[in-house]
Amino acid sequence: MNPRTRKALEFVLDNLVWFMLLFVLVVFSIFVPNYFQLGIFANIIEASSVLGVMSIGLALVIIAGHMDLSVESVAALSAMAVGILFCSSGIGMGVQLHPEWLMVPVSLLLALAVGGLIGAFNGYLVVKVKMSAFIITLASYIWVRGLVLVVSGGRSAQDLAPAIRWFGIQRLLGLPLTAWIAVGCFVVFSLIMAKTPFGRHLVMIGGNETATFRAGIRVNRNLIIAFVLAGAIAGLAGWLLAIRTSGATANLGVGLLFNAFAAVVIGGVSLKGGVGTLPGVYAGVLLLSAINTAINLMGLPANFTQVIHGLLVLAAVLLDAFKQTIRQRLA
Amino acid sequence: MSEPLLVLDNVTKNYGAIEALKGISFSIGKGEVVALLGDNGAGKSTLVKIISGGLEPTSGRMLFEGKEFLAKSPAEAKAAGIETVYQDLSLCTNVDVVANFFMGREITRKFLGIPVLDERAMEAVVGKALANAGTRIPSLRANVEHLSGGQRQAIELNRFVHWGGKLVLLDEPFAALGVEQTRRGLDMIRQVANQGIGVVIITHIMQQAFQVADRIVVIRQGVVAGDVARNKTSPDAVINMITGETLAGAGPTG
Repeated sequence: MNPRTRKALEFVLDNLVWFMLLFVLVVFSIFVPNYFQLGIFANIIEASSVLGVMSIGLALVIIAGHMDLSVESVAALSAMAVGILFCSSGIGMGVQLHPEWLMVPVSLLLALAVGGLIGAFNGYLVVKVKMSAFIITLASYIWVRGLVLVVSGGRSAQDLAPAIRWFGIQRLLGLPLTAWIAVGCFVVFSLIMAKTPFGRHLVMIGGNETATFRAGIRVNRNLIIAFVLAGAIAGLAGWLLAIRTSGATANLGVGLLFNAFAAVVIGGVSLKGGVGTLPGVYAGVLLLSAINTAINLMGLPANFTQVIHGLLVLAAVLLDAFKQTIRQRLA
Repeated sequence: MSEPLLVLDNVTKNYGAIEALKGISFSIGKGEVVALLGDNGAGKSTLVKIISGGLEPTSGRMLFEGKEFLAKSPAEAKAAGIETVYQDLSLCTNVDVVANFFMGREITRKFLGIPVLDERAMEAVVGKALANAGTRIPSLRANVEHLSGGQRQAIELNRFVHWGGKLVLLDEPFAALGVEQTRRGLDMIRQVANQGIGVVIITHIMQQAFQVADRIVVIRQGVVAGDVARNKTSPDAVINMITGETLAGAGPTG
C-alpha cells in the first residue's frame, strides 16, 4: 500500500461518522420527499442542540476513562431551578430583575452552578473515595431526579421570562441562538481536547491512569475538573432545555441520557476510555437528529425512533471493532 | 564514592502486620550505578516506589542531596529530579510517541493566555532524541499500541535518558528487550551515569548487574543483606547473599 492511499484510508477511518452522516443525508434527500431543504437542515441542527451539549460533558468523562450517568437528571434539575425562579405561571415564582437582561447571566450562572456542584460531588466521591463512577453517578441519576420531583412537587413551571426566551427565538443565519451556543460549545471543547495540555492529559488518563500518575500528571485534579465540567455542561443543557420548552416539568428530559450515550458511542468514543474526539460526537448527535427528522417526515410512528437508535448503537459498536482490525492491518 | 546523592536511613514499610521493609539503609553517589538485587518479594519494588513517591514509608528517613526528602507523589519526586522506569511499562498506548515522550511535560505556547500544545517543537525534540539513541520507529505520530514491545521499551528508556534529572530508578528495564537492545540499554545507563546522574537498577540477571553496576546491594526479607563494590565480589558470593547462605559484607540492619 503506498503512503497516499494509506493516508486517505486513515483519514476516512478517523472521520467515519462524518462520512456516515453525509451518506445518510444524501440518501434521505433522494428518497424522502421534502427532506432536501435548508429549513430541514437547520431544524436538524436546532433539534440537536440540547442533546449535543449534554453529549459533550458525557464524552469528556468517558474519554477520561470514567462514566457520568447523572447528566440527564442534572440537566433537569438545572432547568427546574431556572424555571422555578424565572417562570411566571405554574410553580414559577416570577422573579424579576432590573434591567431585564440581567436575568440571562443570573439564570445561566445558576444552571451552571447547580450542575457544577453535583459534578464536583460525583467527582469527589469517584476520585477521593475511589468508588466506581458507574455506581456513584447512577445514584446521582436517581437522587437528582428525585430532587426535581421534590422541589417541583410534581408540577411544572411555565412562561419563562421573555428576556431569557429571547435566546430561543432570536435567529442568526437561520439558526436560533440556542443552536449557536451548542455549536460554539463543540468548537471550544474540541479545541480544548485536541490542543491543550489539559485535554491531552484527559485522553492519556483514559488510556493508562497509572502511567499518567507516575509521569507526575495530577490525575485526581484533572478527573475532578472533568466531572465538574460534565456537570456544568449538563447544567447548560438544562438551561437550553428550559428555554426550548419555555419552562420546566418534573419529567423534563427523560430518556436524553440514552440518546446521549448513543451519540457518544456512534461518534466513535470508546467506553473503555482514551479513544474518541468531540467532532465525532457532534457528528453522532447530528446523525441521530437527521434520522429522527426523516422518521417525522415519512410519517412513521415516533416509536420507531427508539428501535432505529438501538440498532444504530449496535452498528456503531460493530463498526468500531471493524475499524480496529483495519487499523491493525495498516500499522 | 563521591558525595552521596541519596541516603536511605532505616526506611521501613508495613502493610498491616506484614513488614515488607524492616529497615533499609544504604546510599547512592552521584554518577554511581547501584544494582539492587534480591529474590522475588524481597522488597525491591516497594523500595523503588518509596523513593519515587508512589508509596510513603512507615518510618525512617531519606536525605536527597543532603536535605531531608520525602516524595508524597511521583510529581514531587520528579520535581526533585528523580526519574523512574517501571517494570510494567508506563506508556499510554492510545496516544502517539510524541505525546508519550512528553507526558506531563508538554511544550506549550501561550495563545491569548491559554497554554496550547506546540506539536512541532515536541516532534522535533523526540526525533532528535530517538535518532541520537539509534532507535528507529516508523512514525512518531503512530499510536504506541501499534508498536512492538521492544520499541515501547526503547521509548521509555530514551525518555529517561532525555529527561535525566539527578537520580534514575530502573525497575527491571530490559524485560522485553532483545540482546542487541539490552546491550544498547546498558550503554545508555553508563552514559547517563557519566553525566553525574545516580542510577539504581533492579534486575534479576546477575550478568547485567556485573556488566553495568559500580556497587551491588542485595536485599533479603526486607533488610540489606549485602552492600559491596562490584570488583570486590563475585556472582557466586552475591547469589549466596540473595539466598541467605552467608551474610558477607552485610550492611546495617537496624
